Amino acid sequence: MGLAKLIVRVLAIVGKEVTEITRRPGAILSLILGPFLILAVFGLGYQGIKRDLATIVVVDPTSKLPTDVATYKDLNVRGLQVIDVMTDRAAAEARLRDDQADVVVVLPVDPIGTVETGKQAELTVIADVTDPVLANYTGFMAETLASAVNREIFRIGAEQGEQYAITISGRDLSSVPPEVIASPTKAVMQNLAPVEPTIVGFYGTAALALVLQHLAVTLIALSIVRERSSGALDRFRASPMRATELVAGKVLAFGLLGGGIAATSTWLLVSVLGVPMLGSPAVIALVIGLLLLASLGLGLLISVVSDSERQAVQLALLTLLASMFFSGFVLRIEEFQPVVQLAAYLLPVTHGIALLQEQMLNGTITHPWQLIALVGIAAILLTSSWTLLWRELRPG
Amino acid sequence: MAGVTRRFDGTQAVSNLDLEIPRGEIVGLVGPSGSGKTTTIRMITGSLSPTAGEVEVLGERPSAFRRRTRERIGYMPQLFSLYPELSARENVDFAAAIYGLVLWRRWRRRDKVLKLLDLWSARNRRASRLSGGMQRRLELAAALVHEPDLLILDEPTAGVDPLLRRTVWNELHRLRDSGVTALVTTQYVTEAEECDRVALLSEGRLLAFGTPDELRREALGGEVVEVTMQDIFDAANLHRSTGVLDVRQTGPKTFQLVVDNAATATPDAIQAMSEAGVEVAEVRTLRPSFEDVFSSLVERSRAQPVAASEDAAPTPRAA
Repeated sequence: MGLAKLIVRVLAIVGKEVTEITRRPGAILSLILGPFLILAVFGLGYQGIKRDLATIVVVDPTSKLPTDVATYKDLNVRGLQVIDVMTDRAAAEARLRDDQADVVVVLPVDPIGTVETGKQAELTVIADVTDPVLANYTGFMAETLASAVNREIFRIGAEQGEQYAITISGRDLSSVPPEVIASPTKAVMQNLAPVEPTIVGFYGTAALALVLQHLAVTLIALSIVRERSSGALDRFRASPMRATELVAGKVLAFGLLGGGIAATSTWLLVSVLGVPMLGSPAVIALVIGLLLLASLGLGLLISVVSDSERQAVQLALLTLLASMFFSGFVLRIEEFQPVVQLAAYLLPVTHGIALLQEQMLNGTITHPWQLIALVGIAAILLTSSWTLLWRELRPG
Repeated sequence: MAGVTRRFDGTQAVSNLDLEIPRGEIVGLVGPSGSGKTTTIRMITGSLSPTAGEVEVLGERPSAFRRRTRERIGYMPQLFSLYPELSARENVDFAAAIYGLVLWRRWRRRDKVLKLLDLWSARNRRASRLSGGMQRRLELAAALVHEPDLLILDEPTAGVDPLLRRTVWNELHRLRDSGVTALVTTQYVTEAEECDRVALLSEGRLLAFGTPDELRREALGGEVVEVTMQDIFDAANLHRSTGVLDVRQTGPKTFQLVVDNAATATPDAIQAMSEAGVEVAEVRTLRPSFEDVFSSLVERSRAQPVAASEDAAPTPRAA
C-alpha cells in the first residue's frame, strides 16, 4: 500500500512537470530546438581542418634564390600557402603584424655556403601569435617546411646523380657532418608577440569575456522577467516611468556591476595568475564597457521575448553554449564555414574575446572594426529591445 | 467611463460600463472574483485600452496620460509587486523616486507614510520577511508616498485581518477628508459600507451605482420597516396606507413594510393599524447587510431578460 502511494505521488509529479512544460511552447522550442540548432550549425559549419597559413617568403636581394611565388608554391608544403615573395623582411613583418599573413618564412642568404661550412642553413619562420595552440601548430608547420626543403634538395641531388652526395658545385663536402648532409636546412621559429603564449594568458582572457557576457545577459534578463511576473511592470505602466528610463536604469546598474566584476577579475588575472596586461587600461576598459553594453542589449532582448523566468534562463544558457562553440573561445572562427563565421560575429563575446586578447597580450588592436561592431551590436540590440519594452508598457 | 467594453480573446470581461467618479469621494468597485473589477481598474490606470467606449481620468484619456497626470495617480496592484530583497524603507523610497520625488521631500514623505501605516518599526526589515498584512500596508505606503490626488487601490484589504482592514479603511477615510479621490476594489461585499459610493459589478456588468443607502433602496425597492404585532395580523390591507410600496408577511405576527420614506410612512401605517384595532409591539427600520443587497441585485439582474446583443444590454447609469 505504501509503495502504491509512493508511485502515485511520484507519477503525480511526473504528470505535473510534463504538462507544465508541454503547455509552454516557447520552452519546448528553446529546450529541444535550441541545442539541436546549435549542434546542427556546429556540425554543418565546422570544417574540422585548419586553414592553410598564409605565408610570405622573404628572399634576401643578394641571394640568387628565385623571387616568384610559383616556385615556392611548387614546394607544396601542406598547411602553408605562399601568398607573396618579398625581399624586405621588415615590410613582411609589418604585414604579419597587420594580420595580412599568418607566417613569414625568411630564406637563408647563402644556403650552400652555410652547408659548405658544415652548418645547417636556417629557415627563419616568423609568426605573431598569442594563442599557444596556434604557436605550437606554427612551429610544427615550420618543421614541415624544413623537411620539404630538405626533400627538395635531395630530389635535385637525385636528378644530378650520386655526385651530389659528395660535391655541390664541384666542391668536396666530405668534411660536412653527416647530420648536415641529412638535413641541410632547419627551421628556427620566431614569435613577434611581445609575450610567450600561455594557456592561462590566452584562455583566461577569453574566459573573462565569456563570463562577462553571460553575467550581463543573465542578470538583466532575469531582472525584467521577474518584474513582469511579480506585477512590477504593471506598476511601472501606471506610473510616470518610461521605457527609456527603465532601460537606462537597468543598463547603468548592471553595467556598473559588470564593470566592478570585470575590474576585480582583471586584477586577479594579472596579479594572481600572472597574465600580462600590455595594453592601455583605458582601452581595455573601453572594450569591456562595449562588451557589457552589447551583452546587456542581448539580455534585454531575451527578457522581452521570454514569457517566464525558466525560458529566460534557457535562452541565456543557449547563448552561452553558442558563444562557447562559435566565438573563438575554443575553436578558431576561421575554422568554420563563412556563413557560421558571420553568425559568430553577431555575438558580442566574439569581438570581446578577440579585442581583450589583443589588448592584454599584444598591446594592440589589429582590427579596430571590432570595436565598431560592438557599438553596432549594442545599438541594434538596445534599440530593438527598447522598442519591444516600450510596446509592452503601452496600454494593451 | 462611458459605454466601456473590454474583451479578451472573445470573452467579455467588462461590458458597456458607464461610471462617473466624483472628486473627493471613496468609490468602491464591489463584486465577486472575475466580475471585471481589475480590468476596469487597469483601463483607468492606462494599462489596458478599452475595446469600445471612452475612459477619461483627470481630464485625459489614460492611453495618452501626460507624465504630470500620472504623477497625480497612486496605484496599488492586486498582488504584491514590490521587491522582496529590499527593506520596507527602500521599497517606499524606490516608489517615491519613480514618481520623481527629490531627496529631501522623498525622505520626508517616505518616513511619514511608514509611520502613518504603522510600518516604522519594520522599516529596515526586508519585504520578504514582512507578514502578509504588513506587505499590503507597504504596498499602500508605496501608492501614497507621492501624495496623489487619485488613489486607485486594487483589493487593498484582500488577505488582511479584520483589525488591519479597519486601519486601512480609516486611513482611506482620512485621505478622502483631505481631498483625495479613491477608487477601491474589494470582493468583500460588506466593505461597501465604507465607501461613499459603490459600483456593484457582476460578470463584467454594472448592476448598480450609488451611495450604500441608495443601493439598499434599489435592492429592496425602498426602505424596509419591520413591524411586530401583539396578536396575529393580516397586513395585506396596509397596502392602502400612504407611502407603503409593498407588504411582506414574514410571520403570523410580523411583517415588513417597504416604504418610500420610513420617517413619514411609518406613523401613517401605525395609525392605520391602530384604527384596525390591533396593538403594535415593536417597529424597527431594517438595515439589510450588503451581502443581502448584493444578492438581491444579482438575482434581479439575472432575472432581467438579456438583450440580443451583450453590448446592448441595459446597465444602470452612474450617478
